[in-house]
Amino acid sequence: MMNSLTSQQRKLAYLIGILLLLIPIIMLGLPSDGTKAGSRGKLAQLRTEYELGESDLGDVDPSSAAMNLVLLGMRGVAVNLLYSEFDMQKDMKRWAEMEATTDSIVRLQPHFEKVWEMNGWNLAYNTSAEWDAVPDRYFYVKKGGKFLMRGVRQNRKSTHLQYHVANVYQKKIGIADEAKFYREYFLHDPDPKFKGGVDPEFNPDEQDNYLVAKREFEKACNIEDQYRRPQHILDRTLFRSMPARCQFDYASSLQKDGKFGEVTREAWQEALTDWTRKYGQQEFSIPIGPLGTDVRFPIRLEMSAEDIRKEIASPDDAVRVAKMVESYRKMVNYYYWRTRANCESESKTAEAHRNLYEANQFYKKQELEKARDAAYAGMKGFEEILRTPEFSDLQAEESLVEECMLGMMVWEDIHRVSGEKVPADYPLKWLAAQHQGNHGMIANVQRSFKRLFLD
Amino acid sequence: MSFDPQDMPVFDAIVYWMVVVGVLSIIVMVVSLLSLLVSHRGAGLRIFAEEILRSLTDLFSLSIRRIWALSKLTFIEAYRRKALAVFVVFALLFMFAGWFMGGDTRDMTTDQVKVYVSFVLRTIAWLTLPLIVVLSSFGIPEEIRVRSLHTVVTKPARRLEIVLGRVFGFSMIGTLVLLVMSGVGYIWIVRQVPASARDMLVCRVPVYGKLQFLDRAGNPADKGVNVGDLWEFRSYIEGATKARAIWVFPGIGERTLDSDGNLHLENQFLAFRSYKGNMKQSLLYDYQFRNPDTGATYTTEARPINENRGVTDVISRKLVSRTDGKTYDLIKDFVARDGTLRIEVSCIDREQYLGMARPDLFIRKPDVSFAVGFFKAAAGIEIMMILVVLLAVTGSTFLKGPIATVLTSVLMILGGEKAHAFMDQLMIGRSDKGGFQGGGFFESIYRIITHMNPTTELPDNMGFTIMTGVDGLLTGFLWLCKQVIPRLQYFNMSEYVSNGFDVPFGSTLLPCLLILVGYFLPCVMLGYFALRIRELESK
Repeated sequence: MMNSLTSQQRKLAYLIGILLLLIPIIMLGLPSDGTKAGSRGKLAQLRTEYELGESDLGDVDPSSAAMNLVLLGMRGVAVNLLYSEFDMQKDMKRWAEMEATTDSIVRLQPHFEKVWEMNGWNLAYNTSAEWDAVPDRYFYVKKGGKFLMRGVRQNRKSTHLQYHVANVYQKKIGIADEAKFYREYFLHDPDPKFKGGVDPEFNPDEQDNYLVAKREFEKACNIEDQYRRPQHILDRTLFRSMPARCQFDYASSLQKDGKFGEVTREAWQEALTDWTRKYGQQEFSIPIGPLGTDVRFPIRLEMSAEDIRKEIASPDDAVRVAKMVESYRKMVNYYYWRTRANCESESKTAEAHRNLYEANQFYKKQELEKARDAAYAGMKGFEEILRTPEFSDLQAEESLVEECMLGMMVWEDIHRVSGEKVPADYPLKWLAAQHQGNHGMIANVQRSFKRLFLD
Repeated sequence: MSFDPQDMPVFDAIVYWMVVVGVLSIIVMVVSLLSLLVSHRGAGLRIFAEEILRSLTDLFSLSIRRIWALSKLTFIEAYRRKALAVFVVFALLFMFAGWFMGGDTRDMTTDQVKVYVSFVLRTIAWLTLPLIVVLSSFGIPEEIRVRSLHTVVTKPARRLEIVLGRVFGFSMIGTLVLLVMSGVGYIWIVRQVPASARDMLVCRVPVYGKLQFLDRAGNPADKGVNVGDLWEFRSYIEGATKARAIWVFPGIGERTLDSDGNLHLENQFLAFRSYKGNMKQSLLYDYQFRNPDTGATYTTEARPINENRGVTDVISRKLVSRTDGKTYDLIKDFVARDGTLRIEVSCIDREQYLGMARPDLFIRKPDVSFAVGFFKAAAGIEIMMILVVLLAVTGSTFLKGPIATVLTSVLMILGGEKAHAFMDQLMIGRSDKGGFQGGGFFESIYRIITHMNPTTELPDNMGFTIMTGVDGLLTGFLWLCKQVIPRLQYFNMSEYVSNGFDVPFGSTLLPCLLILVGYFLPCVMLGYFALRIRELESK
């Protein structure tokens, strides 16, 4: 039929066709007028409804947006090619080039959270471990942390990414084999350009890593609350316990560093408040109905049996809720941490810790008499504490038992060195007997004992 | 260092080239003769002989003056086609490149310098090569289209001279572009790098040795231990055992030492710890110089490695043994009669490992200026450009412009290292020898359709024997095609310069020149014959 038309008529028909096709495209693509209700184009409406606009998601990176536009629909292909480069560079240990490729990948996929997570992890955990010198390792831990922080800036509603930022501060810096060095570097960066101070981008407030981790975990909780973006990493009760757990870590690390004064006691006091008043009072919605139904009830880990009875009319439901509360408490080790914080915030516990710590220090310096006295005072202090029914749960707490056993080992060794017989009975002897079969723990204590000579 | 420069076996390469060119020439001759015999019967042989004679006459009566005139015309023609407009793109890139690549200039690292150098060399190559491909591919077809070639062929100019004139003319315009770009690029790099970091702009001149290993019991081994790295470039020696990495450096004499008589040994060993140990202390290594003729040995003190950055150890010519106080002269006492120096490296720390590959230890001769290495790398781009011109002009003698462009571009892509490695794997065809699993063309189709596992043996019957036979023929054809595709891996010299090394002649420039010369004769002859038989009236 087209062939029977003149050239001019055909052109006119094409023009009309183009215009007709343009109408739905324009309707779909009309820009937003800035208000949610009045957004005109369908795409703009959907974008507003699901908060998918670039600026809704996080900071806008103009180069990233331009690159994606230029590549049209080919960014998947480009990213695949970049990943094969990335793998090759990683295998060949070409770290600087691998980092540049990583940067290109995230520019192409700035809102793909897993990409940030994977590459942040790769820098902080895999790449750092490939280096031999600890300052080099720390450099890549920082890189990973900063990379994840950049991910959060571009995806400010991502609970996951914020959780991983906090994880770098808490686990990578606080628990790694090199933790002793990392924690020191966190406050005194080995990079000469920071002149012995902190890296302001990584630790702007010059705080301990656990306190920074606590703040970052709190941010993750806030994101979860504010944007209703649930996380799928941990059970929610565990996830929400992280800020308080960081406070525990902070208080413990102060003790490990030999600080037993008011600051440490206050840190434990704050940990207790965080655990019982803040975390313990948070509500967690749990299912209480029969299987297949969605009857939920908000529980708090600090709620008493009386609270449950008051809030639930049906006695059957009350029993079920009480059981659930108990099982969640067990899952997060609620009682243990409450007891520990209670105990540690007492001055006699701080004194016992100080005595055992000083015993080790005197022993290192071979001031044996002072070491023996300090060890005995520490053992006596803990004898009293652990015999208190309120704190008896701590008899099974591994790090505390190891600390006590190390004190005993020092005390017994001094007797041996001095040619004296170890008395038949002494404080905490029963504790050693209780853990006799725990070979892993005994090996740990022996290793720590040997290290007293090496460090 | 993550690359391993190997000298090209020049003699073997020339023999191989002669075989390939000889076989191809014979095939072409036989096919031409047969086709002439079929089309002209008895007169075919006479025509064939006349053609050969005429070709030889053309070959021996080449006029340099005419070639030069044609080259000049080609140059002017390319100039008029606004080929030099490429400078606008170049200028734009370089005006703003510093904005995007400028790191902290006070704290310049070798990695940043590396980025600058590779950016400049890559930009030059990526701007000039496509330009030259398009210009050269469209030259002859365009002249045929506008019939300006008719005026040339009616002059005494021979068709061989036309091909040569085109090749030289396009190479000249490419050279001009390259000269300006590399000059500006060099100045740009020097200006971008702050004065305090200029010492990073060097070209180290390495002398590489041969590497062999001893295992933990002291027995010779092909490799050290694999500690789990996917990339098997480096292998590891165990500390506090008899495991050694032994380098034998050739051609060592007084000229290898610096002006103060010191030997500079540069290494980049990697560490692998089987337990953490003392984390504050890097792993330690030592060198042992050993003269195989006299049995004299000298062991240096233990030194810490500097992983991924490298260490330059300055070894004094006069060595005093710490055990017996005996004095040695490094050159007189340790260089063997054949001029080699043997250095054994051991790892000191028990149950820890040091990783190394051949280029991880080298003797560093006095450095040369950065400009030397940079312009050698630019020369690499120049040689590649001439090769591209050669291929494009040859293609354009029997193809139309766009098709010649595509052909040249495809040859360039297939000439890359990865493409050659892929073809090698296809040709090996057996996974146990490093090739692909699943057989050749038809076999792999059969396996895909029937979901047959690549490791399962094919049924033993006539059909499959024929299928694998046909696959073998196709693979043979692929082998022949592969010989025609240039190996371009040698032409990328930017990695040397960006890593702070001089461009070695034997393992890069020489192979590039040989490849160019190797392609020159067959390409020019192919272009000449193609132009002779081409019907110029057909656009």
